[in-house]
Amino acid sequence: MTSMHQDRELCLTGVGRRYGVRGPWVLRGVDLVVAPGTLVRITGANGSGKSTLLRLLARLDVPSEGRVTGRPRTAYVPERFPSALPFTAVGYLTHLGTLHGLGRKAAARAAHTWLERFGAGPYAGTPMARLSKGGSQKVAVAQALLGDPELLVLDEAWTGLDGPARAELDRAVAERTAAGGAVVFVDHDPRRLAGAADAVHTVADGALRHRTEGAGPVVDGPVVIVVVQGPPDGRLPPEAVRAAVAVAETAPGGHRLTVPSSHSDAVLRALLTARPPWHVVRVEPAGALPPDPGSRP
Amino acid sequence: MTALLRYQADLLLRSQRWLPPVILYAAFLAVGVQSGQPVLDSLGYTAAALLPVAAWLVRICVTGEPPAARACVAAARGPARAHLACLLTALLAAVLLGVAAVVVVTLVSDPASTGHRVRVPPARALAAGLPAALVCALLGTAVGALTGPPVLRSTGRAVPAMLLGALLAVVASGSPARAAVSGLVGGSHSGRAPVPLLPLAGAALLTAAACAAAAWLTGRRSP
Repeated sequence: MTSMHQDRELCLTGVGRRYGVRGPWVLRGVDLVVAPGTLVRITGANGSGKSTLLRLLARLDVPSEGRVTGRPRTAYVPERFPSALPFTAVGYLTHLGTLHGLGRKAAARAAHTWLERFGAGPYAGTPMARLSKGGSQKVAVAQALLGDPELLVLDEAWTGLDGPARAELDRAVAERTAAGGAVVFVDHDPRRLAGAADAVHTVADGALRHRTEGAGPVVDGPVVIVVVQGPPDGRLPPEAVRAAVAVAETAPGGHRLTVPSSHSDAVLRALLTARPPWHVVRVEPAGALPPDPGSRP
Repeated sequence: MTALLRYQADLLLRSQRWLPPVILYAAFLAVGVQSGQPVLDSLGYTAAALLPVAAWLVRICVTGEPPAARACVAAARGPARAHLACLLTALLAAVLLGVAAVVVVTLVSDPASTGHRVRVPPARALAAGLPAALVCALLGTAVGALTGPPVLRSTGRAVPAMLLGALLAVVASGSPARAAVSGLVGGSHSGRAPVPLLPLAGAALLTAAACAAAAWLTGRRSP
């Protein structure tokens, strides 16, 4: 493991957080590793401390006890984003792009690109104060994606977005993890990115319970089947295998991947840009449930 | 840090919240400084009045951003650095305002000591007045940093504390601002314009410590 890799890996050791010197503990004894390229879901009841955990992960708050190590380039989407800022949407995003390390021109370009991806292109020049709630949430999401962060922390980021924008955010998350970034999210919809999360942790009674880890994704969301053909002893790109919930070799060099719908673009990109590229025979919606997820290599 | 400062400066300018302290400062100088008065006396007045204005500008900068927007910036750059950028932006604004005020006051004042006994060339007056204004801008920033969030979070306590702090910083003996201002006023009687190097060093140290403490506390107190 290189030191750069260790730097990008966020690690919480015995972390606790309370507000005030004598306040009650909101969280205590949290051990959590967020490795590059993983998608982590945090669940828990309202007021259980999910947002507090996300603030610690984004390093917005310093833990009252324990240690947080690792410095991935981080972006954060808050639960409610205010529009009370004296900028236009694109003006604000250009500033945030430069804060994420882009040059001014690249930041302005990325701002337009992301606004268009979320269907907010026509509002680029609109003052933030005049944006609707959904419009300002699109700006909140765009600011986090502008700089291709190594760690993306989403606190109910889907809330307030319209249907197409929610699906676009699903795809953006898949792109981030496929590119080696880590994504940690909280969402009230249990079907959100179902089948794609590498780990699910539950916050309850001020502690973190590890519900799923390394057991492979549980499939209960929409999936698509991708059938590809490569050389007889070709190895599938690891990003594609990681995103797939099931991989079966159907013929020498022929593979059938079952992929969460949100990740189909990322998987296809990985397959088509591999050296040598894979031939995509067909992409089809899954008719039945995929074969045993345990067959995942 | 450049990107952070640019963002904060743009936020301050566009928010137009800088208008009240700047207008009040201009009105205060218009009332207190008459053209043709001894230059050093007027510069002392100009510098002293800058201190509460700087504290007010700090308050505007650290409370100008909604907490969620601050969180987005802090995730990218770190909460301490994001807070330092607010303080530094306010300091730069106060320095800019102070320099403009000192130059204007020097130009309209009588280049002489009190009683017109000794001539004080404008260049000498500037050399004494600019550092004194800087001392007051620095100390005002320190007062603002220590009496705003994250140190004092409720407006009801923060604003009286800021006003009291600013007053004490001007009048309390041992304060670098008082030393710089009384150096100018005293100099106006003797006709010698001392350059307040010692107060400047003291103010720089105090302000650096105050800003570091406030930045350290961000992320440790509840949002």
